Amino acid sequence: MKKGKIAMTITIGIACFALVTVMTMQFKVVNETDIMEIENMQEAELKTELANWKSRYEEIDAQYQEVTQRIEEYKNDEESNNEASRLVQEELEQTNTLLGLTDVHGEGIVITLKSKENASAISADDLLIIVNALKFAGAEAISINDERIINTTDIVNILDGSFVKINGQRILEPYVIKVIGNQSHMESAVTGNGGKVEELQTLGHTATIEKDNDITIGKYNGEIETKYIE
Amino acid sequence: MIFIAILIGCILGAILGLNAPMISYTYSSYLAIAIIAALDSVFGGIASVIKKNFDLKIFISGFFGNAILAILLTILGQKLNVDIYLAAIVVFVWRMFMNLGTIRRYYVEKWSDMIKEKTSKKDVKEKNKTEEKQQENS
Repeated sequence: MKKGKIAMTITIGIACFALVTVMTMQFKVVNETDIMEIENMQEAELKTELANWKSRYEEIDAQYQEVTQRIEEYKNDEESNNEASRLVQEELEQTNTLLGLTDVHGEGIVITLKSKENASAISADDLLIIVNALKFAGAEAISINDERIINTTDIVNILDGSFVKINGQRILEPYVIKVIGNQSHMESAVTGNGGKVEELQTLGHTATIEKDNDITIGKYNGEIETKYIE
Repeated sequence: MIFIAILIGCILGAILGLNAPMISYTYSSYLAIAIIAALDSVFGGIASVIKKNFDLKIFISGFFGNAILAILLTILGQKLNVDIYLAAIVVFVWRMFMNLGTIRRYYVEKWSDMIKEKTSKKDVKEKNKTEEKQQENS
């Protein structure tokens, strides 16, 4: 009986001890909690706020990405447009050059022809032959007395060879033929055996050939009109 | 005897509790419900001591079992989003009042008995005195 009572007392004592220990700890926590609760609340608020901002950020970021992508597309488009226009421009320039609608310069030769007095003058046929020979030799641009030879150019005798018309313009002696092309090829095309210039020289006409490393040939001054080409 | 044990336990517990490290706020709700359960067990133990039917095994199992069950119920309640701990608190506090009522009744009865005894003794003494006086007079 006595033993049981002691055990009982000790047990209740220990139980009280454990209980009060935990209780005191809890009191401490609760005391601190006044501040902590506010902090927790703020924390929760901040968390929701943060989540909101995060979602907004993601939204805006997505928009930004989209816009950036669009800008990139536009840029690409523009670049390709630029590229296309540049190519077109180049092509146009090349075409103009080939057509003779631009001033060109480069290495080549200058042929000067002057008829012998009291003899048959140098005719358009002679000029045609020379031009033809030069073209055969690979001439890139030809002009006679600054009249550019283009694909519609006519070289004709007027009034039984008393004067020559090129591009519908009357031209007078001396005839100065400027050619851009390989200098030696040009020269050999009109000189040597069967060369028209040499032939003219043997006939007594004055003919000189000068080499020039920078000849400037002016553009065709007229207009190229097409009526029947559709 | 038993009150000395309770007092010593309380003092030691308070000292240890004040020096114990802080627990995380997250667990304080579980701890609170465990405290209520343990408090109920202690009151129950005291009441049973007074009733003289104290059983060590029942007390210890009740002390720990109730506390653990209360904590588990609270956790379950949080998981289910139902405030089950309210039911536990109602039950424990109700039982606490019952036990306190038992203890109170016992001591009140004891006290009133003591007063009755004292008064009856006084009456007896006074009676004796008067009788003595009467005898002297006579």
